[in-house]
Amino acid sequence: MLGFLTARQAGLDDPLRLRRAESTRRVLNLELNHDRDVDRIHSNGINTIDIEVIEGRYMLSGGADGVVVVYDLENNSRKSQYTCKAVGTVGRSSRYAHRFSVETVQWYPHDTGMFVSSSFDKTMKVWDTETLKPAEVFQFEGNVYCHHMSPIARKHSLIAGVCVTSSHSHRGEVLSVRWSPRYEHILATASTDSRVLVWDVRRASGSLFSLDQHNGDKSKASSEAVNTAHNGRVNGLCFTVDGLYLLTMGTDDRMRLWNSANGKNTLVNYGKVSNESRKGLKITVSRSCSPEFVFVPCGSSVAVYTLHTGELVTMLRGHYNNVDCCQFHPDYQELYSGGKDCNILAWVPAVRPPDVEEEGTAAKVEILAQQEQLKHVWGVVIRRRSLFSF
Amino acid sequence: MFSCLSVMNRKRALISDTFKVNKRRVAGPLDVKATLQDLMTLFPRKLFNDALPQIVLKHQLYSVHNDRTQVDRQLSDLREQGELLMFQLGFDRGLWVGVRTRGTVEKFLEKMLPSCNDMNSEITQLVKSGVLTVRDAGSWWLSIPNSGRFTKYLIQGRKAVLGMVKKSKYNKVLKAELEERQTNSQVKFQIKYHIHDIIGAELVECIPTTSGTLLRCVDY
Repeated sequence: MLGFLTARQAGLDDPLRLRRAESTRRVLNLELNHDRDVDRIHSNGINTIDIEVIEGRYMLSGGADGVVVVYDLENNSRKSQYTCKAVGTVGRSSRYAHRFSVETVQWYPHDTGMFVSSSFDKTMKVWDTETLKPAEVFQFEGNVYCHHMSPIARKHSLIAGVCVTSSHSHRGEVLSVRWSPRYEHILATASTDSRVLVWDVRRASGSLFSLDQHNGDKSKASSEAVNTAHNGRVNGLCFTVDGLYLLTMGTDDRMRLWNSANGKNTLVNYGKVSNESRKGLKITVSRSCSPEFVFVPCGSSVAVYTLHTGELVTMLRGHYNNVDCCQFHPDYQELYSGGKDCNILAWVPAVRPPDVEEEGTAAKVEILAQQEQLKHVWGVVIRRRSLFSF
Repeated sequence: MFSCLSVMNRKRALISDTFKVNKRRVAGPLDVKATLQDLMTLFPRKLFNDALPQIVLKHQLYSVHNDRTQVDRQLSDLREQGELLMFQLGFDRGLWVGVRTRGTVEKFLEKMLPSCNDMNSEITQLVKSGVLTVRDAGSWWLSIPNSGRFTKYLIQGRKAVLGMVKKSKYNKVLKAELEERQTNSQVKFQIKYHIHDIIGAELVECIPTTSGTLLRCVDY
């Protein structure tokens, strides 16, 4: 790392290189840290978490009891022991709360004044964060499994929320929907009929193409009808950060990586990724690491794979029951995961152990304080770069 | 404990890649074709009276090579070149089977299509003889006739070999020891064929030890 710093100072290396190398090292060192905790508010499983993209400070979580909680992730206490406090809760006692399980929550991509939640009570609510009251409620005819707002859209502010009966191209329930982070009109949907369709919202006639796991001939109309992305339900969908690739996860215990421009299966083999979830599974990818990693909830642990080679790097074990969702914090390379055991666990890059020469607790405290400072500085470095990059 | 050691090695390898500390020795290019030929010799032709060509399961290749993605890519290249035919055993199963060929599919289709006057009856005949199987209304898969027996023997043998691993003390057995063991009448193929099959299908975990590879049953 000192070599990278010197090279950057001397101008031999691009500044991006140091950032990539250090981000990768931090992701490879993820582990449970007993100093970091998240407030336990949910009394039933946690279905979805989302971290806002503007500051990376606030986190939303939605649970199977219909409760939505807002947490503050920043550590201002100057102590290494820190619990992320809940700053707002839409609890069971609120008259605006969802009646059944909340399946997806998402911050408004452009500021934290608003967030959207959708649930099995067939509604999607747009909330005002200050007052925690819904500003708008959308009614659906069936269960809403997933919704997503485009993170880059400037010309439209469409929320893609899909429920059972409205789409004539999917023959089963749609478990997951995602906007492309590269093109603001492209949308991908995944459903229980084993198909994944890619749409352009400007084109009213139907989907652009469906993903075929065998990479068959796309020109024949008959083969389009039988294309399957997986041999079972498709319940996880995630674009990579640059939008060039799409990851899908199915109940046939396979995860596939697709080229999002032409829909070809890149044939990256992740092996058997055990998947017993009946609902959608939230997978997430790392950002600005080299190589990129994908985090998949796998039973009661989170599996970390290298994106383009399919190698299993490690399994993060810590939950007591099934993990349903995970979210990567791109600035600090931390992972938050939530599951049926009602806990949100924070996976933090392990601190470097103190050197043998420096004995005594005073030295240890000093080193821990230095680590916190380093983390703060690292966060500033990341943010400054992100203002100028892509 | 052994599995966590191997994970640590992988992490260290990934870190050193990123920081370019040590130049990793790049292994020679994967030769999937050679492995295919080796595995095909394990297949017993006499058992089926030469009615079936030599069949190798795709996941048996994973037990030999570490990098599955490279294996998949080379297989799809071979498929495009026409040297290999891939068939799917059974409906909706991810079990893929490879057969060496010399352009037989193209010849078959060339002969079939011009001479087909009455499509329906011909298709029914072909399905009856086992050359075509139904995929969906209006489309079919090409299949290997008489492959039912192969599937039956494979599953029987797989169960028997897995049973042998499970009955061992601590559910673990050294791979070399398992290869030496006597097989009962349930197992019709060579035991090595089955060992490659269960390792590649991830039904057992492969753990490197100082006395060789250890196979352990995975409980799901």
